[in-house]
Amino acid sequence: MNPESTFFTESTRSLKQSALFSELADSSIADILSRCRRETWKRRRQLPMEETWKRFHILLSGRVRLSRSNPENGRMITLFLLGPGDPFCIFSLLDGEAHDVMLETLDDVTLLSMPMSEARQWLNEHPEFNRKLLPYLGEKMCSLAGLASDLALHDTETRLARLILRYVDSGTQEQHVTPRLINDLSHEFLAEMIGSVRVVVNRQLQHWKQEGIIDAHRGHLEVEALQELAKRADNHLVKIPA
Amino acid sequence: MVEENSCVAVYEEHLQAETAVRQLLEEGFDAEKLSIVGKGWQREEHPIGFYNTGDRMKLWGAQGAFWGGLWGLLLGAAFFWVPGLGAVIIAGPLVGVLVAALEGAAVVGGLSVLGAALYSIGIPRDSIIRYETAIKSDQYLLIVHGGQSEVERAHDVLATGDALDVTIHLS
Repeated sequence: MNPESTFFTESTRSLKQSALFSELADSSIADILSRCRRETWKRRRQLPMEETWKRFHILLSGRVRLSRSNPENGRMITLFLLGPGDPFCIFSLLDGEAHDVMLETLDDVTLLSMPMSEARQWLNEHPEFNRKLLPYLGEKMCSLAGLASDLALHDTETRLARLILRYVDSGTQEQHVTPRLINDLSHEFLAEMIGSVRVVVNRQLQHWKQEGIIDAHRGHLEVEALQELAKRADNHLVKIPA
Repeated sequence: MVEENSCVAVYEEHLQAETAVRQLLEEGFDAEKLSIVGKGWQREEHPIGFYNTGDRMKLWGAQGAFWGGLWGLLLGAAFFWVPGLGAVIIAGPLVGVLVAALEGAAVVGGLSVLGAALYSIGIPRDSIIRYETAIKSDQYLLIVHGGQSEVERAHDVLATGDALDVTIHLS
């Protein structure tokens, strides 16, 4: 990417706003951008991992879902929902292997892309990035562990409440909040994030709507009573002031 | 039918764009899959005009050789006056896309006719705004249409040249 281009400036700004890259020095960001090419992918583009795992991508705008499905019964589970600033495929970066995951764009997305070998070289040359990368990886591992335990231990109501809370800024004092990334997703999509089906999620959301816990209309989801939702999640780790 | 994958490069000067076209042709790219967009007649102090004395359109003006050469090489030639952008000259298959957008009334809300043509080949809105700004600023767009591997290869060729930006757009 040419340092004099408008896209270079925009990309730098996007990385500076992301949690993962924000503390990097300008020279480190310039170095990673010089190794990247800029791509855009249209909404609803589906890619099996064998087409993407040889390149490292950083999302600049839009959302990407990483999921796994069973072609025999059509069931699907969303493993990660990624937004601006998130990299993928992080596991392939670590182990150099392809993984059985499907990528799907939920919006028109803009991203940076570079060969995995370049990404590894950049990591070796900028070890300071590990201060952010390791907690990020830890968060992703916790997210997967949370999904696995939710599927095994909790009912649909709890799983759905936990999902919504995961996308609410922690420590917020507000009772009325709009969840990040998931607030405009279809009920079917939400179901695929918690290992359920559309009708069950739809019924639960309608129930909560009648109770005044959430407001869901025209494909838009808002939380009206965060404290009450936290109770439904039975999530003692979420600390919301009374 | 123009494929909905493309590689778009932005150039400051028409000579840089012309060099890039030659470079792509030397690398074996199909001339029928390349398009160029520009204004072509800025800062003129002499008469300019579009004329046809044979089988193809020509431009009388400082950039006559550039556009005449491209129109002889690429598939399609057009001059449009686009509100908000002014005069836009195009060479290549994007001409057909733009005319189809006009004929099919497929102009997308908030976009110029050029923007609608770019949108219909799979370029998202954010990038279209950047490209329209580039045209307004007298820069040039070189577009390579094709399959994913073709546009990726085009990127590798164009990234070594004088382009301000090179972006791959995949549908």
